[in-house]
Amino acid sequence: MSGSLAASDLSVRYETPHGSVHALRHVDIEAHPGEVIGIVGESGCGKSTLVTALANLLPANARVDGSIRYNGIDLAKLDARRQRLLRGDEIALVSQDPMTAFNPVLTIGDQLVDFQHHRKDLGRAQKRARIAAMLGRVGIADAELRMDCYPHELSGGMRQRVAIAAALLTDPGLLIADEPTTALDVTMEAQIIHLLRALRSEYNGIIIVVSHNLGVIAELCDRVYVMYAGEVVEGGEVDAIFHDARHPYTQALLACDPARFHERLDRLPTIPGSLPNLTQPPSGCVYAPRCACAFAPCGSVAPPLVKLSASHRARCHAVTP
Amino acid sequence: MSPLLTIDDLSVTFARAGLLSRLVNPFPLPSFNVIDGVTLSLMPGETLGLVGESGSGKTTLARTILGLVRAAAGRIVFEGRDVRTPADFRAMRRRSAMMFQDPVASLSPRLRIGTLLTEPQIIQGLPMPDRRAVAKALLALVGLPASFVDRFPHELSGGQARRVGVARALAMKPHLLLADEPTAGLDVSVQGDVLNLIGDLKRELGFAAMIVTHNLAMIRHVSDRLAIMYLGRLVEAGPTQDVFCAPMHPYTATLIQSEPIPDPRRRSQNPAVTGEIPSVFRRPSGCEFHTRCPIARDRCKTEAPTYRPMGTDRMVRCHFPLQTGGQEREAFSRASANQKGKLT
Repeated sequence: MSGSLAASDLSVRYETPHGSVHALRHVDIEAHPGEVIGIVGESGCGKSTLVTALANLLPANARVDGSIRYNGIDLAKLDARRQRLLRGDEIALVSQDPMTAFNPVLTIGDQLVDFQHHRKDLGRAQKRARIAAMLGRVGIADAELRMDCYPHELSGGMRQRVAIAAALLTDPGLLIADEPTTALDVTMEAQIIHLLRALRSEYNGIIIVVSHNLGVIAELCDRVYVMYAGEVVEGGEVDAIFHDARHPYTQALLACDPARFHERLDRLPTIPGSLPNLTQPPSGCVYAPRCACAFAPCGSVAPPLVKLSASHRARCHAVTP
Repeated sequence: MSPLLTIDDLSVTFARAGLLSRLVNPFPLPSFNVIDGVTLSLMPGETLGLVGESGSGKTTLARTILGLVRAAAGRIVFEGRDVRTPADFRAMRRRSAMMFQDPVASLSPRLRIGTLLTEPQIIQGLPMPDRRAVAKALLALVGLPASFVDRFPHELSGGQARRVGVARALAMKPHLLLADEPTAGLDVSVQGDVLNLIGDLKRELGFAAMIVTHNLAMIRHVSDRLAIMYLGRLVEAGPTQDVFCAPMHPYTATLIQSEPIPDPRRRSQNPAVTGEIPSVFRRPSGCEFHTRCPIARDRCKTEAPTYRPMGTDRMVRCHFPLQTGGQEREAFSRASANQKGKLT
């Protein structure tokens, strides 16, 4: 089963002893089956809060406003039991370091059997056969042997492959990969990117890839949302984001990536300034204090979401369609 | 001009067994080389990038140069003098500095920034009439406000902690700076800041730098020369631009090809290399890269290539180096385009 995902006007704030932290403000995203959605931004931009909200795993001090509709159901309004069922069945998460996602004292095979707990129709032997097939699918040689390994016996790249296999075993309609290659070396990273790309051709759910690495996003995604300080500042087709970025933050972020320049630069480009304090988010544009083209209304009036094309949107005063 | 630092045939050996099993077991297990026969030199004022995947021994090499890990064989010559005894290393460390990989963890959590910044002078026994003034001057050098002297490390952001790391490394006005992954964990907009700062201070103070990293996109812009490590051995070295434009070792070529390009119109077709870095416990026979090399031949499996000069300023460890217009380069691009069936 797979359906569309749409978060509309989603805001998350964390209640802390120092006041509320407005970690996510008025986020609108949508994703359709078969799409790979990229969420890109720097640390502190709210990418992790967004995906944890989508997976319904926010901590107890988080307050959620707005709606997350998956397949027509509003996830935020489900009771705890239904949420839990949905997580095992429909929504799967691949985390940055799968070492921490696996239990160190159980073998890979045992844990992957447990991942399929909702498949009441399968026996243990059938589950193990599915695991072996899936491990082979994600490029692990000697799957039968590897099932008897403990997580620490596998290398980082292997663990990430096992984590992807674990996520796919549940036949999720929504697969969230949170920084799937950040902990890996570049040669392993390339292999995982190719694995994800090969998998998407036969998987027809939604894949959401969260990364701060623009290269990974460009290699993998169909559509991209760029986040800054808890807001989605720009969203659109991957080609539009990388070749026709309209929001000043997106442009600055792209300009900072040294991988885009082949000639040696004497000075690497940077974005001066720092993130705003999210306990009191600015009333105007969040990026205005660091923006090179800020003008009169930017400091006081929140910018509208400007529709630039069928799927390309930017939240900026200076942008016109 | 004579080199600032010369490393000649340096090897580092780790005993495989732990201390306890060595005491219990009268027949010790064989030790293995984490660094094997590394030869390198660094000119004054030069920036050398030391690149490799995790486990290739690049951090161990940097630590060995400063005497934090003991070398099993080989020579280190710093400013024309052999560095052998602990006293030699102490003298060398007075004129060289290391920026450790984790900036927050390398700052003692219970000391204030001011104390941390002036610790090197205290340890080296230098006279310092006004500690606070020295600390403030160092903070100003790296562009942090003077009020930071009273802060604790946990109050800093990642980029600020990195700046404090730079300030502390430069406190002794070193001739050599060893920076271990100076940008790991930093956002792209901040990573440029730290590297520009190191570059500016390098021009101002004239020290040489060795940057240990796996970030190829970054090192391309900040280094003069590159050395590529694989399983504790150098496989290629040369001027940065030359290495990037025409890599000679297939490993270097695969590293450069593996780097994701931030452009959806130029998506890479196939992974340049499959498989994983082998373990130093079980080094492959012959050329160590032959297990992953797209153009390996029979000779590579049995005979280990030597590290030999190519042209005037390049070094490579390969039987069949890729040369512009040569058949190996063609074979490499064909082979890396043909690997599609192999992966899955």
